[in-house]
Amino acid sequence: MQSFSIISKIHEGLSQKAYSCKELTQSYLDAIAKENGALNAYTLPTPEKALESARKVDEKLARGETLRPLEGIPLTLKANISTKGIVTDCCSKILSGYTPVYDATVWSILESQNAVLLGKCNMDEFAMGSSCETGCHGPAHNPHDETKVAGGSSGGAASAVAGGVAPYALGSDTGGSIRQPASFCGIVGLKPTYGAVSRYGLIAYASSFDQIGPLALCAEDAARIFDVLAQKDPRDSTSTGKKESALEALKKPLSGRIVGLVPEYFAGLQPDVEKALEEAKRVFESLGCTCKTVSIPEIRYALPVYYILACAEASSNLGRYDGIRYGYKTAHYTGINEMISKTRSEGFGKEVQRRILLGTYVLSAGYYDAYYKKAQLLRRKIQRAFAKAFTQCDFLLAPTVPMTAFPEGFTAQDAVQTYQTDICTVPVNIAGLPAVSVPCGFDADGMPVGMQLIGGSFQEAVLLNAAHQYELAARSQSFRSAGKGVEL
Amino acid sequence: MSRYELVAGLETHVELATKTKIFCGCSTEFGGEPNTHCCPVCIGLPGTLPVLNRKVVEYAVRAGLVTHCEIAGVSKMDRKNYVYPDLPKAYQISQYDMPLCKNGYIDLSNGRRIRILRIHIEEDAGKLVHSRGNTYVDYNRGGVPLIEIVTEPDFRSPEEAREYLERLQFLMRYIGVSDCRMEEGSMRCDVNISVRPAGSEALGTRAEIKNMNSLSFITKAIAYEYDRQCDLLDSGEEVVQETRRYIESDGTTEGMRGKEDAQDYRYFPEPDLVTIRISKEDVEKIRASLPEDPDARAKRWQESFGISEADSAQLLRYRRVADYFDEAAKGLKNAKAAASCILGQMFRRMETEADKEKFETRVSAENLHALLQLLDEGKVRMNLVKSTLEKMLDSGKPASDFLSAQDLEGVSPEELDRLCTQAVEQNPKAVADYLAGKEKAVKSLVGFVMKSTRGRADAQKAEALLIDKIKAQA
Amino acid sequence: MVTHEEIRAIANLAKLQVPDEELDGLTEDMNEIIAFADTIASVQVEDEAYEDVNGLSNVLREDVVQPGLSAEEVLQNARDRDENSFVVKKHA
Repeated sequence: MQSFSIISKIHEGLSQKAYSCKELTQSYLDAIAKENGALNAYTLPTPEKALESARKVDEKLARGETLRPLEGIPLTLKANISTKGIVTDCCSKILSGYTPVYDATVWSILESQNAVLLGKCNMDEFAMGSSCETGCHGPAHNPHDETKVAGGSSGGAASAVAGGVAPYALGSDTGGSIRQPASFCGIVGLKPTYGAVSRYGLIAYASSFDQIGPLALCAEDAARIFDVLAQKDPRDSTSTGKKESALEALKKPLSGRIVGLVPEYFAGLQPDVEKALEEAKRVFESLGCTCKTVSIPEIRYALPVYYILACAEASSNLGRYDGIRYGYKTAHYTGINEMISKTRSEGFGKEVQRRILLGTYVLSAGYYDAYYKKAQLLRRKIQRAFAKAFTQCDFLLAPTVPMTAFPEGFTAQDAVQTYQTDICTVPVNIAGLPAVSVPCGFDADGMPVGMQLIGGSFQEAVLLNAAHQYELAARSQSFRSAGKGVEL
Repeated sequence: MSRYELVAGLETHVELATKTKIFCGCSTEFGGEPNTHCCPVCIGLPGTLPVLNRKVVEYAVRAGLVTHCEIAGVSKMDRKNYVYPDLPKAYQISQYDMPLCKNGYIDLSNGRRIRILRIHIEEDAGKLVHSRGNTYVDYNRGGVPLIEIVTEPDFRSPEEAREYLERLQFLMRYIGVSDCRMEEGSMRCDVNISVRPAGSEALGTRAEIKNMNSLSFITKAIAYEYDRQCDLLDSGEEVVQETRRYIESDGTTEGMRGKEDAQDYRYFPEPDLVTIRISKEDVEKIRASLPEDPDARAKRWQESFGISEADSAQLLRYRRVADYFDEAAKGLKNAKAAASCILGQMFRRMETEADKEKFETRVSAENLHALLQLLDEGKVRMNLVKSTLEKMLDSGKPASDFLSAQDLEGVSPEELDRLCTQAVEQNPKAVADYLAGKEKAVKSLVGFVMKSTRGRADAQKAEALLIDKIKAQA
Repeated sequence: MVTHEEIRAIANLAKLQVPDEELDGLTEDMNEIIAFADTIASVQVEDEAYEDVNGLSNVLREDVVQPGLSAEEVLQNARDRDENSFVVKKHA
């Protein structure tokens, strides 16, 4: 067994009894023990739980039963995905020690397959951030350079997968929180279409944007995970499931596909990123795709629209943290009102408080029309503009982030400048579309660059097919893969 | 006449009689140990999501139809944000600008029409108990479905408000969407009150009295608040726009100081729920499932059954009773007898309003119908019906268990002839009176025959036979 | 420009305390973020009838009772409780 094995290889190893699930699990637990001090990817390893699942898988193998797609495969879950009996704190002091009494639907699905939970992983507090530095357990570090951020908010998930301490992870993406850290850490991150994967049990940041998705070593793994998770859930009124299997579509040839290039995405890129994207474009052309410029000028409204709507929803979603039913409660107070506001002020970090205040402001009497309502109308405009773009092409190619991973401590200096790094990721969340970030090279310092493939609603199969074909072609064209040599 | 006119509007919360809460599968049962009818959704655990109960939409539409509302083709849920321990999510899922029903009315007996502005659906909050300075929180009520029925400021007297509420209560019970038990809080009221110089069209500054759950409190509170505001204006002071509380002990109201003066609920569309679309066909389906219009039903009873207005009102008051009556009376010549059995003997066995509302009886409508059928056919008389019904109510058995073949056979012509002859022979005075022109004297002879047959004889036939015999004797 | 008073009012609605020494910094931050949000304030957009972001409608559940949590589970994460109730003590 080797680290950085893709899921089909692990599945094969287990099925052919090259190693037991216990051995497999133990090797990851050992790696966590060894590496996590440097990565801080995990905030709560769950070795007992993992070995318990591994035992079930080994029993099944001993009985000669076949394994389901993710059975026996270890993973880590972002700290905002509820797991019964396992602390789920969103890396916030206000949820310290909170132990859910129910499972998120995604974890119910995986646990019913005997997936092996290695632990909960690091994130920005309540998924608000682009660097995985705002959580109460300290920053997650980038395995490519530990002085650089892993990205956010699913930084722990990206760091764990890229650092070889988890074969895959589930994160959540509200404005880029899967794709941006995937890009910074050189792995694949899929943000599915809004509604494809159930949000039940995902601790909400912004309900109309949040979506759970995989962070994995390659497009094939992402497809495999997506296929298992994308199910209509009666507990989530906004869930719809998937249209088709992504795994079955992986091998389709790309010739004749039209790749849309949106100039609005290519403004102000770091030169290395621009160069990597230029090369990616050539790889697609070599696969028989045609590149075409498709302008979506409405993208210029995306950032303010996103911050207004997401913060508005967040201000409401985070109202419930009052110290009464769960989580942190202030030690000293007089009366209910003081108890609640003291608890909240002590329990939430600065960035979370800032977003709650902004959200409260844009919803308050007198400002609603100018901000919330206007943003909602622009959201529909952006949605329609994307829909129109997809009448001219099969998918869009864009950078995931205008830059590569920045040094730790950079984000704290200026809120708005930090928000700007989300410029390429948020339009997709606004429009509810699927997008996948795929590694496409490195900058001069050896930090990974990610490209983003964006599709129409429920076009995950098209995107992952393109991503997979790209990976195969790029490797044969001296493409340096993520991590330390993933074998596809 | 007073110099001021009362202008009042009502916002009435009615708890819907669904089995489960509005957004989760928890039971809506009243009472129970604290926090025993709860799940992750209704205690607002992080990550949980609401799913709307189909019955809540259906019940709200029923309520809208019976109050002559327009039903919205497109409707949505919104979040009303405020932080308080009785609200586990810190927002109430309600409806803001797109309610399910709007523009309805209820007509009062004085001919005035109370316009209903809107009816929307929302979730109830949990219960707080303040004791020894501590606050105890129970979420059993949290998430129970409510409709809020908002009127225009159309009330001009406390009596109108009372009649409206009684009518609303009746209608909601009648269509089966709520039991409207004010004492259990399943119907509660907020009143907006202002006064204005008689003849004026402008609206005065209003005060709101919150959360009252008794008809008499509501009427008293309106009357008190009207006087208070008139006095203020008379003495040259101004009415302050504020929320007030009714004080049960002395029938007055007081301002609720210290409550958030400027609430800002920051409504916005609930992103966890999707649009509600109700097609014209859906509305018609629901309309078709409603019971017969209560006014039309009363009229039908009065016209085709000859039931008095007072009796039909009594029968209509409880939906189960009305349905029972219709089933028992169907096809009877003497439907009035069914009404009198129900309102007399059967109601006598039900002590409380709640008993009558439940209308649990051991006699099925079918069995009552069979008994009264015998009356129609002349096989039994009313007094036998009554005594038999008592036995049926005690035992739950059908009439046939208590009536002998002899009872049902009636009296043979020979027997009747013999008894009539006997009556004429033994009552010479009555015979003489009759012959002297006092026609009523024959009634005492009929009574003699009836008594001898324990009521089984046909009084009309007996009377005719008796007259024949008297005339023959003369 | 957002004033100190407005920040205080918003914080009060959001149930957050703003210590005096942080008020200046926070007001400045908020003004910067609001200026950023204001970039769409001048955009002319035609008003439209309400429509769901994801175009779904009528996702409804049947009125059937499902098992819930035990009171023990409901209260498991509470810092303060008294028998089966959550409690907020007068002071602590």
